[in-house]
Amino acid sequence: MLWVDKYRPKTLDKVIVHQDVAQNLRKLVSEGDCPHLLFYGPSGSGKKTLIMALLRQIFGPSADKVKVENKIWKVDAGTRTIDVELTTLSSTHHVELNPSDAGFQDRYVVQEIIKEMAKNRPIDTKGKKGFKVLVLNEVDKLSREAQHSLRRTMEKYSASCRLILCSNSSSKVTEAVRSRCLNVRINAPMEEEIVSVLEFIAKKEGLQFPQGFAARIVEKSNRNLRRAVLTFESCRVQQYPFTNNQTIPPMDWEQYVSEIASDIMKEQSPKRLFEVRGKLYELLTNCIPPEIILKRLLFELLKKLDSELKHEVSNWAAHYEHRMRLGQKAIFHLEAFVAKFMSIYKSFLISTFG
Amino acid sequence: MKKVKRNVAIVISSSDDDEDFSVKSNFTHTKSKSKAKPVSASVPRKNPKRAKTALLSASCPRPSKKGSVFDEMKRFCEEFDDDFTGIKVSAAPVFSINVYVLTVLRTSSSSVSHHCQKTKLYETESGLQSNNDMWIDKHRPHFLEELAVQKKKVEEVKTWFEERLKAAMDGLSNVLLVAGPSGVGKTATIHAIASNLGVKIWEWTTPTPTVWPEHLHNSNSGLKYMSKIDEFEVFVERVRKYGLTSPTLKGSQASVILLVDDLPVVNVRAAYGRLQRCLTLLVQLVRIPTAIVITNYDKDDSADFSTRCWEELLLSLHSAGACKVNFNPVTVNSIKKTLTAISRKEQREVGADSIDLIAKASGGDIRQAINSLQYLCLKPHRRPILSSKERLDNASCLDDVFCLPFGKDENLSLFHALGKFLHNKRESEHAIASDRDTFLLKEKFVRFPLKMDAPEVILCQAHGQATTLSDFLHENVLDFLSEDAIDDAWLVASYLSDANFLLSSLSGHLSRDFGAQNIIQSAAASVAARGVLFGNAHPVPSRWHAIRRPKLWEVEQSSRRNKRQMFNQRDDLPNSLSTYSQIVMATEFRPSLKWLGCRASESFQADDMVEEDSDSTCFHENKLDLSDDEIEDW
Repeated sequence: MLWVDKYRPKTLDKVIVHQDVAQNLRKLVSEGDCPHLLFYGPSGSGKKTLIMALLRQIFGPSADKVKVENKIWKVDAGTRTIDVELTTLSSTHHVELNPSDAGFQDRYVVQEIIKEMAKNRPIDTKGKKGFKVLVLNEVDKLSREAQHSLRRTMEKYSASCRLILCSNSSSKVTEAVRSRCLNVRINAPMEEEIVSVLEFIAKKEGLQFPQGFAARIVEKSNRNLRRAVLTFESCRVQQYPFTNNQTIPPMDWEQYVSEIASDIMKEQSPKRLFEVRGKLYELLTNCIPPEIILKRLLFELLKKLDSELKHEVSNWAAHYEHRMRLGQKAIFHLEAFVAKFMSIYKSFLISTFG
Repeated sequence: MKKVKRNVAIVISSSDDDEDFSVKSNFTHTKSKSKAKPVSASVPRKNPKRAKTALLSASCPRPSKKGSVFDEMKRFCEEFDDDFTGIKVSAAPVFSINVYVLTVLRTSSSSVSHHCQKTKLYETESGLQSNNDMWIDKHRPHFLEELAVQKKKVEEVKTWFEERLKAAMDGLSNVLLVAGPSGVGKTATIHAIASNLGVKIWEWTTPTPTVWPEHLHNSNSGLKYMSKIDEFEVFVERVRKYGLTSPTLKGSQASVILLVDDLPVVNVRAAYGRLQRCLTLLVQLVRIPTAIVITNYDKDDSADFSTRCWEELLLSLHSAGACKVNFNPVTVNSIKKTLTAISRKEQREVGADSIDLIAKASGGDIRQAINSLQYLCLKPHRRPILSSKERLDNASCLDDVFCLPFGKDENLSLFHALGKFLHNKRESEHAIASDRDTFLLKEKFVRFPLKMDAPEVILCQAHGQATTLSDFLHENVLDFLSEDAIDDAWLVASYLSDANFLLSSLSGHLSRDFGAQNIIQSAAASVAARGVLFGNAHPVPSRWHAIRRPKLWEVEQSSRRNKRQMFNQRDDLPNSLSTYSQIVMATEFRPSLKWLGCRASESFQADDMVEEDSDSTCFHENKLDLSDDEIEDW
């Protein structure tokens, strides 16, 4: 089992980061009920962990008994029926799924599942009709239609079903959905907090590490707790006992992007652009989302850039990031950004050095 | 006064054997000259089935996608009909009943006019006046000298027949494949050669297509439906086993050749398989010299399933031992010669320029050219008869522009169009001087005039989808930019990004509206093409380039596969209490799992990678060869 899963805190009491949020959540569900919730915050900040702990707080240990199911939902969409295949993770009390995996059919999925959950409501110990919890991941990736249909069903079935939504950015969740939920912001953990988590894991595993080693991992992890833990485990596999000059294994795709960046800085020509395209294809083949590639590439380029160009380059990056979301083939826009950068940088070089 | 009665029944149908609805569109157009009385079943009872066809097919056309094609066809028939009726009045009254059966063999492509594959006249009464004929039938070449086909090809076919007729050669196959575009004289050549050699032709004629109402009627009355391919199989079987035992040929001493003109139309993979098996048997075993005429349709959309299948079929027949002769489109000069000869014979004054125009517009299709000529000659007679003002306007407008209503549309292959855009051939500097007066542009926006039609015209001719076009342009354009023109590269890239942005709106709320979709498609294609032309301000001097297939397609495919694999991997992650999103999987888990290196998925994944690599490279090479050929062609 990966350490990320192994040392995931199971209850709200045991969390190391975001203890204040955990306290508040425990108070919130002390009555055995809760409103709809929207967790938002950057990746690797502990949203999912808090949600799972919260479910356990509400339903007790039985919430931990989950099964993974690859279910095919038959959705009746007017004239035809659509088969939508989705992986769900469910216990007797909750269902968790990533509706955006269904692509543009997500709106059917959301409605259908909520309806089905409403049909078979569990009965709790006191003989009262209970409720089930639906955990929806990546709500920000849901299409606008799906979010609209969500709004409708949220109200209609609120007696039998609570929604816990989880997203990276609340700005991509529609206003209507946001106002129907209690918004819980989960910040990225502070670096000290992450260090303390790593120390906790090291203690449990019986590992020793030199002074400042954890800080280096944390620095690389970009305040992403999950990444820090994964990197820590990789380091463990790579070399133990840890030494202070040990290289922290980087994510391969990030290394690749920085290679691309240095390629771009070295030469600006259509031929080089073509080579860069090949490398971008390589990244896309490995399912690295284009937005992340662009962001990372910009980051790498800015590091090496003269400060007077930074503004313009960032502006163009934003332009093509927007285009990329509107368009359908990311490579066109990524490449246009690279070409634009090359063009700017070349004219800058010519004007400065002649 | 003799009563003139004239029934014209036109049955248009496409026989799809393996689909239930065997008829896409059919209609009967009847016209009675003297009185407008409804036509009864006075179609000749030569073949009861055919008569029924005409009667029953009076149903409305099915509302289908083929609607526009169908309408065009209908208009064409009506106009033709009008014209011939016009002639009729001036000619002596005769009794004649003509049934034109136009069999449209394939209705899938956009241009319909050259799909009027066979026009057959069934005449039941003799003494028909000649000026009622279609000229293509009247002036059908009977001697080798009259053929407009290349002499070498004719010679080749003739020698083949002579050899096979002299002695049955056991080692060699007795089948000749005659391939070529429509209307280049494939059938005519064989007929002329046969009469030249003094042999009889025994022809497989396609049975009349069964129309849907007829099928219903038949199946109600207990008759078993026999698809065309069934009939063809039976025919081939008979020929193979017993040779020719047709009653018409019994007792005749002359040697015969077998001519298979229109092969049954098949649409499904299984049916292709049957046809292929059946033809291969024929190729291997038939004892009499046989010619199979195969019409190549538009080669440019090679993505089309049926085109691919036909190519496969040809190849397999060729490898089974059949001899193959390819007919090229008839040259403009020989068409002109033929047209002049015909117009002289018909004693009509046709200007040399109009003949020239017809010949050029026909695109090497001589049947088309003769039809156009006849149509053109009809015009003077048409004027006085037409009373309606609207029609007059129409006619005069036609005269003014002198456009040929049924000229062949020019087709360009996608590769040809891409080459035009990418090579970006422009006039030299001098031509621009006059233009500069009209538009005052900044220096950096000025480009020399294009040495080609407007990009939109080329796009029209190439029938390319905007998405395909922009993918191809994107893949290849960087090769055509000059060494250090990175600004140009950006300009091109930005226009392609615009085009992609336009195309993506197709998937949204506009997806239902076909009109809007069309406009966006063409706008996007135009932005992409013009962007490439404009952006490439310093084109490299013309140089040979292979056009590559977009790598993007492979990338998309393998990325989808990886995504699926990742989902499976996610489900395999032991004991995780939650489902990870795809981004997290791709950017965090997979890299670290690689480092951890102890997961079972690792080896599986590596295997996959290797396999995929070898796969893609060999595919790529194949494709490269193919595109090289395409480029060399022009």
